Amino acid sequence: MNELLQQILNGLAIGSVYTLVALGLTVVFGILGIAHFAHGSLAMFGGYLTFVFSTSMGLSFFASIALAMPVGAVMGMLIERLAYRPVRDAPHINAFIIALGLTMMLEGGNLLLFGADQVIIQTPYQQVFDFGGIFVAQLRLVVIVTAVSLVAAVTWLLLKTKTGKSVRAVAQNRHAAVLMGVNVNFVSSVVFAISSALGVAAGALIGALLALAPGVGESFAVKGFAVLILGGLGSLPGAILGGLVLGVSESLAAGFLSSAYKDVISFLIMILVLLVMPQGLMGKK
Amino acid sequence: MKLKTPLTWAALALSAALMPVAHAADEVLVIGVNDALTGGGAVYGLPQANAVQMAADEINAAGGIKAGAINYKLKVITSDDKANPTEATNSVRKLIDRDNVKYLLGFCCSGSTSAVASFIAKEDAVMLVGNAAERAITAQGIPNVFRTRPPADFTGAAAGTFVAQKGARNVAVIGALEVGFYTQYVDAFEKELNKAGGKIIAKEAFGLRDRDMTPQLTKIRGLKPDAILVVGYVEPAAFVYRQAVELGLNVPRYGFTSGSEEQFLKVVTSAQMEGVWDLRPTELTVEALGPQAKAYDANYRKKFNQSPTPSSPYAYDQVYVLKNAIERAGSANDAKKVADAVRTLPIPKEAVMKYIANDGNAMFDQNGQAYTSNGAFQWQKGKWVFVSELPSDNKAYSQFLRSIRK
Amino acid sequence: MKQLMSHRWMLSVAVVAVALALPHLFKSPYYIHLMTLALIWVVLAQGQNLTQGFVGYVSIAQAGFMGIGAYISTLLTMKLGVSVWAMLVIAPLLTGVMAIVAGYPSLRVKGHYFSIVTLAYNMVIFIVLMTFSALTGGEAGIPDVPRPSELTIGGHVFSFEGRSNLNFYALALSAAVLATTCCAFVLHSRVGRVMLAIRQNEDLAEAMGVVTSRYKLFAFVMSSILAGLAGSLYAHYIGFLNPEPFGVDQSLNIILAVILGGSGTLSGPIVGAVSVTFLPELLRFADSFRLITYGLILVVATIFLPKGLVPLMATLWRRLRASQPMVAEHKPTSKA
Repeated sequence: MNELLQQILNGLAIGSVYTLVALGLTVVFGILGIAHFAHGSLAMFGGYLTFVFSTSMGLSFFASIALAMPVGAVMGMLIERLAYRPVRDAPHINAFIIALGLTMMLEGGNLLLFGADQVIIQTPYQQVFDFGGIFVAQLRLVVIVTAVSLVAAVTWLLLKTKTGKSVRAVAQNRHAAVLMGVNVNFVSSVVFAISSALGVAAGALIGALLALAPGVGESFAVKGFAVLILGGLGSLPGAILGGLVLGVSESLAAGFLSSAYKDVISFLIMILVLLVMPQGLMGKK
Repeated sequence: MKLKTPLTWAALALSAALMPVAHAADEVLVIGVNDALTGGGAVYGLPQANAVQMAADEINAAGGIKAGAINYKLKVITSDDKANPTEATNSVRKLIDRDNVKYLLGFCCSGSTSAVASFIAKEDAVMLVGNAAERAITAQGIPNVFRTRPPADFTGAAAGTFVAQKGARNVAVIGALEVGFYTQYVDAFEKELNKAGGKIIAKEAFGLRDRDMTPQLTKIRGLKPDAILVVGYVEPAAFVYRQAVELGLNVPRYGFTSGSEEQFLKVVTSAQMEGVWDLRPTELTVEALGPQAKAYDANYRKKFNQSPTPSSPYAYDQVYVLKNAIERAGSANDAKKVADAVRTLPIPKEAVMKYIANDGNAMFDQNGQAYTSNGAFQWQKGKWVFVSELPSDNKAYSQFLRSIRK
Repeated sequence: MKQLMSHRWMLSVAVVAVALALPHLFKSPYYIHLMTLALIWVVLAQGQNLTQGFVGYVSIAQAGFMGIGAYISTLLTMKLGVSVWAMLVIAPLLTGVMAIVAGYPSLRVKGHYFSIVTLAYNMVIFIVLMTFSALTGGEAGIPDVPRPSELTIGGHVFSFEGRSNLNFYALALSAAVLATTCCAFVLHSRVGRVMLAIRQNEDLAEAMGVVTSRYKLFAFVMSSILAGLAGSLYAHYIGFLNPEPFGVDQSLNIILAVILGGSGTLSGPIVGAVSVTFLPELLRFADSFRLITYGLILVVATIFLPKGLVPLMATLWRRLRASQPMVAEHKPTSKA
C-alpha cells in the first residue's frame, strides 16, 4: 500500500508538469487550431533562460522565472506573427509543418546558446519530508504548487477578464467574433503570449526537477499532445485531468510493470485513445 | 600590373627569410580522433578529444615522432560521431578517404565504435579504442584494433567479489541494462556475488535520456535490499543517487559510472553523494596513480579550464602508444607494420593509467586488449577517494576473451 | 500531352544515364558512398511522397518503417540464413504487412491527429528496437550484416563487397528507378487521381462516394513498402545495424526532403533526397547551425514555396521559354 501511494505521489509531480505543458498546447490548439509542436523546445528555451538568470544574475528561482516568462511571451508572439500567421488560411497541415521547422530551429538555437551538456537549475528546496514511510521531496511539492497556481491564474484570465472573453469568442466562432469587433490578430498574439509564458514556467520546473538537454523538449511536446488527446483537444479541464492521469499512469506502469518500456506507455495510451475515444476523457466533439 | 612586382619580390624575400626556421626534414603526420563531441556521449568523448590534443602538443613540443629518418609533427583532426553508429561510419570514412588518416584514436562509445570496428579490418588503418566498454570490440580479435580500456565485465567480476565481502547479500540493480556492456558488467558481478552466497533481487532499467527514476527506486525500496548497484551513464546515474536519498533509501550505494566530481555536483549535492562507491578501472584519481597522473591532471586543468574526467587518460595514452609504436616500427606509412609494433609494445613510460602487463611484458594481449587495475573509489566529503584495489586476474580474463572469439 | 510525356521520358532516361556515369566521373570512394546513400534516400522519399504529396497526409513514421525493414532483413538473413537477394523482396513486403496493421486503425483519424499518431508509432518502434536487445542487439547493434551475394551473369562475376562498391551503387540506382517508376504509374493512374482529389478536399471526395479509407491505406502501405526496401538496402550496405538512424529526427528529415523538392511531383523527392544527403557536406557547419538551417528552410519553404523547388523550377522554366518567341508550340495557353 505504501508503495502504491508513493508511486502515485511521485507521478503527481511529473503529472503537474505535463499539465502545464499541455495547457500551453491546448490554448493554442483549441483557440487557433494550430498543433504547435514547437512548444516543447520553446519551454526548454525558457528553462535555459531561467538558469542563466539565476546563475549569472544571482536571482532567486522564482524571480528568475518571473523574469523569463515575459521574454517567453514576446518570443511566442513573434513566432505567431512571423511563422504561423502567414499560413493561417492555408491547409492546417502547413501550420504543423511550420511547427516542425520551428522545433528544429529552436533546438538548434538552444544548442548554440546553451551547449549540449545537461543543465540543472539549482533550487534551495532540498528537504525531504517523511510521512510514515512515504517520502516527499520538498522540490516536488513546490513544482505541484507552482503548476496549480499557474493553471488557476490562466483559468481566471480566460473566464473573468475582458481579454479572456474575446479569446473565448474566437474559439467558439471566429467569423462571428470578427463581426462583433474582436481583433483576431490581437487575440492570436495574446493566446501565444499566454501559451509561451506557461511553457517557460514548465521549462523552468523541468530544469529544476529533472534536467534540460537537447531532445528533452521534443519528448515533452509529444507527451503534451498525449495529454491533449487523453483529455480532449481544446478542453482546459481535460488538460488538467489528462496531465495528472498520464503522470501517475507512467509512474505506476514503470513501478509495477516494466521500467524499460516506461515511455511506451504514454504513446500507447495516446494511440489507443485516438482510435477508441478520439474526443478524449472530457472533450467535446 | 605594376603593383604586383614589388609584392611578389616582397613575398619571395619573406619566404627566403623564413626558410631556415622551418625544419626541412619535418613532416606532418595527421591523426584522427573520432569521438562523441556532442550529444549524450560527449561527457566521455569530448574529454578524450581534449586529451589527445594535449598529448599531441606535448609530443610536438618535445620534438615530434622519429620514424626512421623522418621526423613527424602531429596534427590532430577531430570528427564528431555523436555516439551514433551511422555518423561514426561516415565520420571514419571521411577521415580515411578524404583526410588520408591512417591512425584513428578516441572512440568513447560502444555503439558507434562497434560500427567502425565492423569494417576497419579491411582498411589500411590502426584503430585505438578508448572508453568504449563493449566486450565484442576486442573479442573479435581484429588485427588492427586495440583498446586501452578494459571491457566492462573484467571490472564487474572484481566488483562482485568486493560487494560480497562488504556483507551485501540482497543486491538490487538499477542500470542502463539495454546497453550490452552494462549487462555484461552485471552478469559478471552476479556470478561472483552468487559464489559468495548473495543474490540479485531486482534488475531495473533506465535509459540514457531518463531523469526520473523514482518509479524504479520506489519498487526497489519495497523489496528491502541491503545494497543497490547503479550501472550507467553519469548523467542519469546522478539522478538515481539523488532520488535514492529523496525516497529514504538508506542502503550502501555501489556504482559503475566513472563520473567526475563536477559532473555529479551539477545534479546532486555532496551531502547526498556521501558514501557512494564507484567500482571501476583505476582511472584517473590523483591519489591512485603516480606522478604522471598528477602532471596530467594539472596540465589538463591549465589547458582546458576544467578537471579531466576519470576516463580521459585512455585517449591520452593512445597517443603515446602510437608514438612508441611508430618509432619501433621505424615507419609511419605502413599501418600494418605499426599495428604489429603495437601488438608487442611494452607499456609506455608516459602512460597515465596503471596498466597490468600481459605475456612478454606487452601492454596489449593476444586480443589487442590492455588491462588496467580495478579500484574501489568512495565519495568522501566532495571528492572521489581511492580506497583499495580490487583484485583482478587479467591473464584468466584474457584467455576467456580469446575463447569467445567466433 | 503526348509531347509532354515523351519529353519527360527522354529527360528521365538522360537522368538515369548521368547517374550511371557519375561514379566514373567522381571517383572518390567517399562521394560514391554518399551517392549510394542518396539513392537509398530517394526510395524513402518517393514513399513519403505517396502519403504526404499525393494524399496529403503527413506521416512521421517513415523512418520507423525503414527500421522495421532493416531489422527484418538483417535478422532473417543472419539468423535463418535467407539470402540477401530474397530479403530485398521479402522485407519490404513484410513491412507492408505491418503497415496494414498500424495503418488500418490510424487512418480513421484525420489531419494533424494522424500525424501525431504516426509520430507516436515511430517513437514506439524506436523504443522497442532499443529495448528488446535480446533480439535487436539494442543500442550496441548488430555487426557484420552481410552484403548481397555475388552474381554471375554471362561469365562475369559481380561482387557487392567492399566500401563504395560500384555494383552496389548500381543496385541502389535500380531501386531508386523502380521506386520512381512505381510512383509514376500510381500518379498517372485512376488511383493516383483519386488520391490527389482526397488531398484537395477529402470531405468532397467522400461525398462523391469515394471510399477514401481504401486509397489512404493503399498509399500508406505502398509508402511503407518503399521504406522497407530502403531499410533493407541500407542495412546490407552499411554492414552495421542499430536503431539510431530510425528515430523521429530522421522522419522529420524525410518530410523536409519531400517538401524541399516538391511534394506531389515525381522529381521533387529525388531533388529533395539528394539535397538532404549532400547538404551537410556542403554546409560543414556545427550541428547547431545545421538544425537551424534545416528548420528555417522548412518554415520558409512552407510559407513561400509550399509546392517545393521542382514546381518552382518548372514554373521558371516555362516562363523562360514563354519569353522566347521562336519556341511557338510551347506557349502556355491553357493549363497543362
